[in-house]
Amino acid sequence: LNQGAGAEPNAPATAAPARGKWIAERASSLVVYIGLVVIVLFFAVTLRGQGFLTADNLLNVLRQTAMVSVMAIGVTFALSAGEIDLSLGSTVALSALVGAVIMRDGNLVVAVVAALAVGVAVGLTNGIITTKLRIPSFLVTLGMMGIVSGLARNLTNLRAVPVTNSTFTSLFGSGDLGPIPGLLVWTAVVLGIAHLAYRKSTFGRSLLATGGNRVAARYSGINTDRIRIIALVISGFCAALAGLLYAGRLHGARYTLGDSDLLTVIAAAVIGGTSLFGGKGSVVGAVIGSLIMGILANGLVLMGLSVDQQMIARGVIIILAVALSLREKREA
Amino acid sequence: MKRTTKLIALLVSGSLAMAACSAKTDSGGGSGKSTFDLSQKTHGPNGEAATPVGQVAELTSDELAKVKDKHYKVAILHGGSSTWFQSMEAGARAEAEKLGMQIVLTTQADFDAAKQASQVETALAAKPNIILTLPVDPVSAAQAFKPAVDAGVKLVFIDNGINGFKGGQQYVAIVTGDHFGMGRTAADLMSEALGKKGGKIGYIFHDADFYVTNNRDRYFKAVIEQEHPEIKIVSEQGFTEEGATERIADAMLTQHPDLDGIYVAWSAAATGVLAALRAAGNTHVKVVSHDLDATNDLQIAKGENLYGVAADRPFLEGQTMIRLAARSLLGQQTAPFVIVDPVKDSKSSLVQAWHDSLDQEPPAEIKKALGG
Repeated sequence: LNQGAGAEPNAPATAAPARGKWIAERASSLVVYIGLVVIVLFFAVTLRGQGFLTADNLLNVLRQTAMVSVMAIGVTFALSAGEIDLSLGSTVALSALVGAVIMRDGNLVVAVVAALAVGVAVGLTNGIITTKLRIPSFLVTLGMMGIVSGLARNLTNLRAVPVTNSTFTSLFGSGDLGPIPGLLVWTAVVLGIAHLAYRKSTFGRSLLATGGNRVAARYSGINTDRIRIIALVISGFCAALAGLLYAGRLHGARYTLGDSDLLTVIAAAVIGGTSLFGGKGSVVGAVIGSLIMGILANGLVLMGLSVDQQMIARGVIIILAVALSLREKREA
Repeated sequence: MKRTTKLIALLVSGSLAMAACSAKTDSGGGSGKSTFDLSQKTHGPNGEAATPVGQVAELTSDELAKVKDKHYKVAILHGGSSTWFQSMEAGARAEAEKLGMQIVLTTQADFDAAKQASQVETALAAKPNIILTLPVDPVSAAQAFKPAVDAGVKLVFIDNGINGFKGGQQYVAIVTGDHFGMGRTAADLMSEALGKKGGKIGYIFHDADFYVTNNRDRYFKAVIEQEHPEIKIVSEQGFTEEGATERIADAMLTQHPDLDGIYVAWSAAATGVLAALRAAGNTHVKVVSHDLDATNDLQIAKGENLYGVAADRPFLEGQTMIRLAARSLLGQQTAPFVIVDPVKDSKSSLVQAWHDSLDQEPPAEIKKALGG
């Protein structure tokens, strides 16, 4: 997943880029914001008076997309390092179930820590096998997806586990902070921390350098293996956090949680301007990408389209969105 | 060399972990002899007695006029997508049209509880008066559908209920097939297929905690074991993914080359079993399952491996859901758990079965194969 290295000027660790290039790069990341605005305007006009533009509905979209946003932020780190994490969907289910089972007869804090530890352990295992055995993360995380899914199914023998601890549910997923849904707060906090780590820290610079050109990064003194492992751990951690948010939102956990999220999450990251080949990305873009996916799902349903029509329309719009951002990059 | 050693160590530890996990109890249609009480009737998830669909009366012309006046809005939140869901929607649409209701939106959740929770919220933005749905996860659906209950939307469920919800309180009613009746119908079909001599059969059940399939599977097995001494279940295997049934059937045929029949939990899952039989060149084994399916039913018509299926009546169930919602909107108390009779679909009853279950003609290929 590293072949994009030479194709694009994607090693931001180098000295200040030329002014023209700077504008071009901003323009390309601007496309995703414009895309979001256009889609919102489109639905606002076509769905006048059908509930789309109500505060409740828009808050719903923010609530619904929170889990995908958190996962998309996580996978942006993995993708930027030139890796991919296919095990994130199954990690969601396992962490939610581990949290729910421990909470049933134990301590809330222990449950949360254990659930998050599941994500860290999965990410760490992915990272160590990928770097030490030199197996592509695509295959490692594909295998891990099966293992983690199997464990999640086995843990409760396919049974759903109710979550009745109201402290937990109001902290994770179901509560509000004044008028603001708790899920929105979670997204904002994760986004804030991730953005600082990604854009403002040495780790972020090393991450992009590693994903952009691993050999060059290694020669410049970066421990690329360590960076790649950390990137996969962040992805696993975010998936586990998403699992807890799902458990809090749904007041229960089930082995199918996160099943259909993988492609949405990766699409959100890519629409947000993260390269599938490493070295380039944006955590803010990932969240915007996730919002685009969420608003599409919401608006197309409210339009009264049949399920088949919704799927076709969503596919067309996703291709358009990615095509637009790619075009910008080529011109750059 | 070092790498290979590490890899082997990894594989070994992995398989040990799996072996440790594999000692599990059974959740679905279950292995081991059945002690199931055959005299019990299909009942609701809270033990509600079943009301036959015939007792849900059509609206009188007065009631009809009252309902029509209001132009009620309906949202249909499907659990998944298949011919069965389509047919349920067609039934609901037909009845809604009669009652002057408008279907404002439809969604399908891919049996994903989180997706369904989001779809409930989205649907509420359109302010529907009625939501028809199949709750995909009875546990978390309590939270997912709470906003709809709070908003006073009339909820009518198909097949599944929601834990902690009661008919007439949080929801209007559950409409479903007669699960036990379907299990018995499938057993009758198996007995018919094997004749007086009986034989050895394989039993492929849905290995998940799912009310409808568990009921059907268990009842089938109990009828065979308790009423058909001439039929022996020689192999039992559960599945959760439809794709797995081909491998399961392969294994059964290898271990029991003298197998005479196979039961499999539903028709789309039977496709794999039929493929395994075709690949083995086995024309002897008779397969019995549930639900109509255009591809598989061609086999019934041609007298191939698939002998017959038991089905419910999704079209009628969709119609009934709308009718119950309308009665509830008129302020009437309705039956909380309504069941429809099973449909028996074998070669001699195929065309009628398609009408009764899906309100459709069978596809042209099937009619041609039947010589019509």
